[in-house]
Amino acid sequence: MFGLPTITTVLVGGAFLLIIIALLYWGLTFKEIPS
Amino acid sequence: MSDYVVAGRSLDFWVFTLLMIGSVCSGMSLLGVSGLGYKFAWPTIWEQLAVPLSIAFCIIFFGVKMHTVAKKSGYMTVQDYLAHRFESQTALRGMSASAGIIVSMIYLAGQYTAISIVLMWLWGLPHWMALLIGAAIVTFYTVIGGLYAVAWTTLVQGLMLIIGVLIMAPLVIMAAGGFTHINEVMAAVNPTNVDPWVTGAGAVFTPEYIFSFALLLTIGLACAPHVINNILSVKNVNTFKWAPLVAFGIYAVVMFLLKFTGFAGIVLVNDGIIQLPKVANAQDFIFVYGVQAAMPNIFMWGIFAVIVLAAVMSTTDRLMLTIGTYFSWDIYKKILKPGAPDKEVLLVSQISVFVAALVTLLLAITPPDMLVWLIWAGIGIMFATFAVPMLSGLYWRRATREGALVSMALGLITSLVFGGISYFKLVKLPMHFSFYAFVIAVVAMIVVSLMTKQTNEKVLAETMTGWYIRK
Repeated sequence: MFGLPTITTVLVGGAFLLIIIALLYWGLTFKEIPS
Repeated sequence: MSDYVVAGRSLDFWVFTLLMIGSVCSGMSLLGVSGLGYKFAWPTIWEQLAVPLSIAFCIIFFGVKMHTVAKKSGYMTVQDYLAHRFESQTALRGMSASAGIIVSMIYLAGQYTAISIVLMWLWGLPHWMALLIGAAIVTFYTVIGGLYAVAWTTLVQGLMLIIGVLIMAPLVIMAAGGFTHINEVMAAVNPTNVDPWVTGAGAVFTPEYIFSFALLLTIGLACAPHVINNILSVKNVNTFKWAPLVAFGIYAVVMFLLKFTGFAGIVLVNDGIIQLPKVANAQDFIFVYGVQAAMPNIFMWGIFAVIVLAAVMSTTDRLMLTIGTYFSWDIYKKILKPGAPDKEVLLVSQISVFVAALVTLLLAITPPDMLVWLIWAGIGIMFATFAVPMLSGLYWRRATREGALVSMALGLITSLVFGGISYFKLVKLPMHFSFYAFVIAVVAMIVVSLMTKQTNEKVLAETMTGWYIRK
């Protein structure tokens, strides 16, 4: 895809998605302090 | 004083998020990242994940806990935290502030080189004159306004940078024939150009090097003084809920576009559309020459130059302020003259910003072969010096003052030694030099802490030390 070997697309795309999911999880589970 | 240093702890979500992006995104990010992409292609792509991730790492692993403790204890700098947690008002504070100043100055030299590249390209100025003009502008508003000025100019600069890259980078990529075409040409030039790493004799971006490089960027940049001190200026801890994701998302897009611009440069040079100048750091000019090829309009070049300078300055002024604060607050007020009034400390801070600007200018007169090597050296020293005392201080109750002192001293010294070995090519190190120093700092922290008396319970409670981020 995109003129790239599959391993490059899968590894870079996979790592990116993993980080997004982890940070989304952080935001969703963060308990806000009432101001 | 607190207004000058931590902006009166008043920053809200967007100002803070853009301040973090602006502090991390430097001249290196614009010029060095595309320069690196041009020279080493896809195996360097991990930088695009590690650098944005460093903002999230800084907020999550340092920021949340440190902000809460700082608000209660009135910390002005990270050194205040270290001095409190490790009960060392002079030795540890002095050492960490000195290391912070050294690293910030190395880093600054790289930023000045970036300013010079843009002004040399735009106005055909000689290197020394370009340096002088850039330094004069940055020094002026940092000295006048402190973090209020830095925070607000960073907000504007951050926005300009994001919008500028979103417009300019796709134009350069399109001028080179589009993303897929660029990858095909890169693969034709050298098949390893499109691989996620390289192996074999003479390879730089091997899997083990990439591992150390990702660790260095993610954790090292997260504990960089000019990045971590932003944490203390946040108004409300709730800012940290979505800031990691938003900062990562925005900055990752910018970073990928910058790297792809460097890839586009391979095609543009290969096709003879652009010719890089015959200077030692030619690849660092790839972005500016790419823009010149994609937009043959001098008005657009001017706009682009302003955007690049904004990126350079948003980090540069932050670094200068860090140097000023570390010297005036941590060394002058806390060690040399504890009774000094705020007005005097402020004056010392402003004088030290001037001195730092002058010394850094001298360092920047001879630019490095490649901007990123210099910047990574700076981040590497921070990684080896600060990461272990900071992380163990926040999370490991058994970490002691002696452990922190030995770990920090060994981290600093061994990173300079391994950095020298790597720079002078005495031995070919398979990983980034900072990784070896980091491992030594970890071992030193564990061994020395276990051999010495635990920090008293009151301090551990006050600094919220323990294996948790929030209670």
